[in-house]
Parts: sequence; structure tokens; C-alpha cells
Amino acid sequence: MNLFRLLPFALRRLPFAFCLFAAALSAQAPPKRIVSLVPNVTEILFAIGAGPQVVAVSNYDVEPPEVRSLPTVGALIDPDTEKILSLRPDLVITYGSQTDLQGQLTRASIPFFDYRHGGLDHIMVTMRALGARTGHAEQAERVARALQASIDAVKARVAGKPRPRTLLVFGREPGSLRNIYASAGRGFLHDMLVAAGGQDVLSDIDKESAQVSTEMILARKPDVILELNAATRLNEADLKAVVDPWLTLSSVPAVRNKRVIILTGPGMTVPGPRVIDGIEKMATALHP
Amino acid sequence: MSIRRRIIIVVSGFAAFAVAVMIWAPTVGSTPISLARAFDRSIAWDDNVDAQIFFVARLPRVLAGGLVGATLAAAGVVLQALLRNPLATPFTLGVSAGASLGAMLAVTMRLELSVLGVTSIPLASFAGSMIATGIVYALASSQRRGLSTNVLLLAGVTLNAFFSALILFVQYLADFAEALRAIRWMMGGLDVASYFPIVAALPFIIISFAAFAMMTRTLNLLSVGAEAAASRGVEIVRAQRLAFISASLATGAAVSLGGPIGFIGIIVPHLVRLLVGSDHRIVLPASALFGAAFLVLCDLAARTLMSPLEIPVGVVTALIGGPFFLWLLVKRS
Amino acid sequence: MRDLLSADNVSFRYAAGAPLVVDGVTVRLSDGALAGILGPNGSGKTTLLRLLSGTRRPTSGRVLLGNRPLDQFSRREAARQIAVVPQETELAFEYRAIEIVLMGRHPHLGLLTVEGPGDVRIAHDALAATGTSHLADRFFHELSGGEKQRIVIAAALAQSANLLLLDEPTASLDLGYQLEISSLLLRLNQDHGVTMAISTHDLNMAASICRELILMRDGRVLASGPTAEVLTPENVRRLYDVEADVQVNSETGHMTVVPVRRIK
Repeated sequence: MNLFRLLPFALRRLPFAFCLFAAALSAQAPPKRIVSLVPNVTEILFAIGAGPQVVAVSNYDVEPPEVRSLPTVGALIDPDTEKILSLRPDLVITYGSQTDLQGQLTRASIPFFDYRHGGLDHIMVTMRALGARTGHAEQAERVARALQASIDAVKARVAGKPRPRTLLVFGREPGSLRNIYASAGRGFLHDMLVAAGGQDVLSDIDKESAQVSTEMILARKPDVILELNAATRLNEADLKAVVDPWLTLSSVPAVRNKRVIILTGPGMTVPGPRVIDGIEKMATALHP
Repeated sequence: MSIRRRIIIVVSGFAAFAVAVMIWAPTVGSTPISLARAFDRSIAWDDNVDAQIFFVARLPRVLAGGLVGATLAAAGVVLQALLRNPLATPFTLGVSAGASLGAMLAVTMRLELSVLGVTSIPLASFAGSMIATGIVYALASSQRRGLSTNVLLLAGVTLNAFFSALILFVQYLADFAEALRAIRWMMGGLDVASYFPIVAALPFIIISFAAFAMMTRTLNLLSVGAEAAASRGVEIVRAQRLAFISASLATGAAVSLGGPIGFIGIIVPHLVRLLVGSDHRIVLPASALFGAAFLVLCDLAARTLMSPLEIPVGVVTALIGGPFFLWLLVKRS
Repeated sequence: MRDLLSADNVSFRYAAGAPLVVDGVTVRLSDGALAGILGPNGSGKTTLLRLLSGTRRPTSGRVLLGNRPLDQFSRREAARQIAVVPQETELAFEYRAIEIVLMGRHPHLGLLTVEGPGDVRIAHDALAATGTSHLADRFFHELSGGEKQRIVIAAALAQSANLLLLDEPTASLDLGYQLEISSLLLRLNQDHGVTMAISTHDLNMAASICRELILMRDGRVLASGPTAEVLTPENVRRLYDVEADVQVNSETGHMTVVPVRRIK
């Protein structure tokens, strides 16, 4: 009688028990074949020493150089599920919005790591989580601490200095002031700017980014305009071509005081180990 | 009342409305400004924020809106008469799809050239629109006799679909950020922050409007039927060619300036016809003027309603235009 | 009487390689003529009218307006002398009757000229002549079939042309309207001196108003000449493959055609 009463309970608990078992299993054996669909997570994996376990990456992966010889399996909106499955991975790094892929992986009993971009702190959180997941907890902890220490060092350097009101531009129609996109009140770019000792002029907009009109820029009067440029470096003429359109807005303090600063270099804004380069560059630009 | 008087009075009424809107629009925005300061010549330009907001941020924007709105509405009127189809738009014959493909390619290939202050995206979109126009024209006039409006319509619609597929393909191959930028371009935007693009688009639009002005009575006759128009003294083939080429040229220039802003070219002519009848000598100028005012007002809504955020102006026209058009359909049937 | 409009051995095909729709046709319209063009569907009547109005150019042969080739006239010049009433008028937009009639003034106006009081008077005269003055401000699409046809004829009259070519003007009308239109045409011809060519399927209308007939079949002229000579049972049979009685009222001189049966 009692046994019968217990049965449904036991059945309900069965999946949970199974999960525990699976978790215990995976905790015992770190993944040997990782497929990463998220470029900045790939960078983190290599930084924490899990690089040798990575067997395939996304189409957009270029860093570190080791990944360039690895097979590619699609990207955010078009992951090649068949290819992923054929690689027999035991861990797939997916982005949070790839719910279809996650469903397919679940059906194929392949574990996945669900990543989503967050603020600056989230990089360290991700490093530690991946460290635990891939069997590199110690190295991950070391790397995370070192990165945090470098960020803190920049913060300490700029502490107490006046924070210039900054417009952080990351997209614009070439040669004009049209379709300007800038970082706004939250998110990773916003956190980088704050860490580098700036104050975001769009901090009242509770979004990661915003399209900003020329009227808004004139009205907000930023002291500094930082513009991210994907080019590795710009020669004199290119730099002039990039800066020139801004000169139209001559009443903006940043323009008047020649503080429109173009930050070059790829990867500056990749939420991974290289983020410190970006923060350093911003800090140097804001507090020369 | 004589016909001339009626034309003058009605068109003057629309002109007064358009001018009033164009004068009022730059005085309002997301930021309150002092007009006295803006026009005070004693303050140095570099120190005069109010003047810069007025003359750099708002005035070019209002002028671009007026020009694009007037052009799309007028081109809509011309194409509707040419195709004898009240549902035609300036984008029906593939001009905007060509322009979008051009812009898309400029974005993904990271073209960074500039001619007389006009940058790569407007240049590429204008080139794209002219290529699309050329293809449609060649197809429609490949038959021995003149220009077939049926083939014109069919070629335009097919080219639209084909170019849209190419756009999706290029977009698929593009980087995420690039694809986003191209999509944003397709939503339309008038924050030009410079007079150069306006001045560059102007000659094409002026030439087209000169052609429009000469064809208003012909458009009336075309609305009655090509054969009837021919028997009343219209050189049909020449008239159709002129209408198609000038409308496409104007649309191409407008789209390169403000992006493919939808609905203007169809709602405005319909609304104007409801108000003043179908005589193109009134419908055409009245639509141009009303289109200018309408787009400037839509852009005013776009830049103030959700301030500090901007709503893409094409989204505003679609949000107003969609329901309005449905209402029109229900009311008519 | 001199020929106002004549076609001299004209042929026409719509596209290269297509069959001839008009094949070696010669017709003459003298000043003041009222001619009927009869023939089965697809016999080339509409195309012949297009050639005569100059909206299409013959593939071979020529059309003379007065004694000058029609293709030497600009469209505007030709339209001042030749007006056309098409079979059907389908508007893309809504126009009032008076607007439609005023469009007839097109060939008389300059590029940017607007119709003046003179043009408006002519348009109103045309409405009066077709008995449609009361319809001036009504929307065309709201009118009945007969009213529409009369407005279109008024528009052609407003063109102030001395030649009127009508393509099946009574085709879609009921008996009352048919009678109305045919008496209107007769009146226009007799009182206003308008020269006319009318294509029609209505043998009785043609018999009652047309003074001469052109019978067309397969793009060719089968017979032409004064109505009484042309409208014989023999010709009707050759034209339509229909056996018919042709009766002449000895008092009025009116001819009536009564179809009896189809041959073949």
C-alpha cells in the first residue's frame, strides 16, 4: 500500500535523479570535444587553457590564431546542426537565442553551455563557469583574477579624476553623420567606458545601444567623442576622412577641443580576455 | 469659377499648408532651443548651440523630408496614371529594390568613396535604382511597338522580387553589424546633417518635376485609356517613356537621399484625390505639396515621440499609412 | 465631293510575323459622309478605324487626310480633325462628365495652357448636342451605359473635329439607348455636318442611318457602296454565313434585315 503511494513520487523524481546522475558524470569527465559557436567564448576557452579541447568553431572566429585551422560550423543565425552532430561533441557553446539548436542538442543528448552577453563582470563569471565545466577551474580562476586586477588598476588610475562626458560611437555611415549608433545606459560597452573613467552621455537611455541624432549630440554636448573603428590602424588621410564629418558639429565641446578620438584595433570590444586593451585605450584617450 | 482659378486656389491652399509645416517643423524638436539665439549673428557660430541645432540638425532634415515627401508622392501620382492602377507606388517598378540592393552592397563591401560630399551609400543606391530602371525599361520596350505598361508592371514586380532575394542573399553573407546597418537604411532616415546630399539630389528631382509639370493633362488622358489618349493627340509612346523615366529618376534620387520610405507614394495621392478629385493638374502639385508636409510631420513624430530615442521615419509612415489605407479600402468597398 | 479621309490599299499586322488583320483595304470617306463598317467579329473593323484615325500606322499602303498622308500630321494636328469614340471607356480614376468632355480639347491647347472660357463653352455645347447637359457634374462611373456613351461622344465632339470615327457605339446598349444614339449620330451628321464612319454589328441601325456601307471580312473589303446597293441578302450571307431576309419599306424606304438561319 505504502509502496504504491510512493511510486508516483518516485516517478516524478526520476528525471531529476537522472539529471543529477548526468551532472555527476560530466563533473567527473571534462569534455574532450568542444564546439564553440560564440567567438568571444572561444577566446575565453583558449585563455583558460581549454583550447586543445576545442574541435570546431563558428564562421566568424579568428582569435586566437589557432582557431583559424579548425573546422567551422555556421554561426549565430545559421548553425550547421548536421555538421555539429557529426563532430560528436561532448559540449557545445551556444548563444542564448539559439533555442532551436539547443532543442536539437537536447534531443541528441549532447550537453551545451548557454552563453549570453552581459556586462563587464560577466566576462569573469563566464571564465569561472567555463573553467569549472571544462576542468580548468584553477587556471580560469587565475585568468579571471588577473583580468579583474588589470581592470581595477585602470579604475584606480582614473579614480578621482573628473569624468568627461563621453559619446561612445560604434557605428556610423561612412563619410557622414548618418545612422550613428552609440553605447547607452547599460551593457558591456557602457561598463568599459565607466571603467576607463568616462561618463556616458546617453546613460539615461536604458538600452545597450541607441541610434543618436545629430540634434541629440548637439544638445548633449559631449566633452569627448570616442569612436571605435575596426581598422587595425589608420594613416593620416584615412584618419582625417573619418574625423572630418564630425567637424560640422563645431559647437560640441568634443569637436571644439579636438577631442574626437578614433580608437582602432580589432577585438577591442570583444567580451573576452582582450577587453583590457580596449579599456586601456579608452582610459588613455579620456585621461591622457 | 474658371478652371485656371480653381487650380490656382486649390494648389495655393496646399502650398500654404506645406510652407507652414516646413516653417514650423524646424522650430520644434527633442531639445528646446531659443530661436532668438539661433538667429543671433553676433554669437560666434562655433559657440551657438541653438543655431547649430537649427541649421545643422533640423533644417537639412526638414528640407530633406520635404523634398523626399514631395518627390515620392508626385512619382506615385505619375506611376498610378501611367499604369492606370491606383494601387501603384513609386516602388512598384523595382526602383527601390534596386536602390536597396545598391545600398546593401555599399554597406557590405565597405565602400568608402565620396563625390561632391555625397557618400558611398547614397551613390550606390542611386546607381542601383538607375540600373533597375534600365532593366525594366529594356524589358518593357523590347517589343516592337513602344512601351507596354503590362510588361512594365510585370517586369517591375518580378525585378522587385528578384532584387529582394538578392538583398536577402547579400544580407545573409554579410556580417551581423553590416546586415543591421543595411536593414536600418531600408527603414528610411532623414537626419542628413548636411546640405550636400540635398543639393546633389536636387537637379534630378528638378528635371523630373519639370517633366511632370508638362505631362499633367496627358496623365488625365492616360487615365481614360491609351487608345483614347492617342486619338486626342497624345504621342502615347513618348508620353509613357517620359512618365516612366522621370518618375524613376525622381524616385531614385529621393530614395538615395532618405531611404525607401514607404506609403507616402500611395496614401498621399489617394488622400488628395479624395479632397480635390482626379484632375492631375491639381492632383500632381497638391500631392507633391501634401507629401512634403506629410513626411516632414512624420519625421517630426519620429524625432520627438520617443525622445531621446529615434523612431525610423519609414516605420512612422508605415504605422500611419497601413491603417489609413485599410480604412480607405473598407470605406470604398 | 472631295475625299476627306481615305485609305489606299492599306494592310496592317500587329507584330512582325503575325497575320494581316487588315489586308489591302481601300476606303474613301467624302465630306459629310455617314458610312457604316460591317463585318463579323475579328474582321478588322476596329483596326481599320485605328488606321483611319492614325493611332496605328499601316504596315503598307497609306492613309490620306485631305490630300496629305496622315502620318505627316503630328498626333495633335490629326486629333484636331479626327475624333474617335472607342468601344469602351474604362477610367482609372473618377472623373466628372464635364472633365471627360473637356479632355477633348487637348489637341487645341498648348503644353501648359488651361482650358479657357471658349473651351468650356465648346464642351457645354457638346453636352447639349448629346442631350447630356444635366449630367455635366455627375461622376462618369455613376452614369448608365447609354449616358456614358453619350458623354464619350460629347468628348469626341468637343474635339471640334470634322471627322468622327465610332467603334461599335451601341454595342452594349439596350434597345432604347441604341435608338437614342443612332438618332443622335444622324442628327450630328445632318445638322452639324460631321463626317462619320461607324463600325457596328447592328445591321438595322446601319441600314437606317448609314448612307453607305463597307462590308469587311477577314481583313478584306467584301463590298462597299450605297447602302441600298450593298445590303443585299447575297452580301449578308457572304459576310456572316447567315441566310437573311432584307425588306424595304416601300413608304419610308427603311431597310430591315431579318436573319433566318446560319449556313454551315
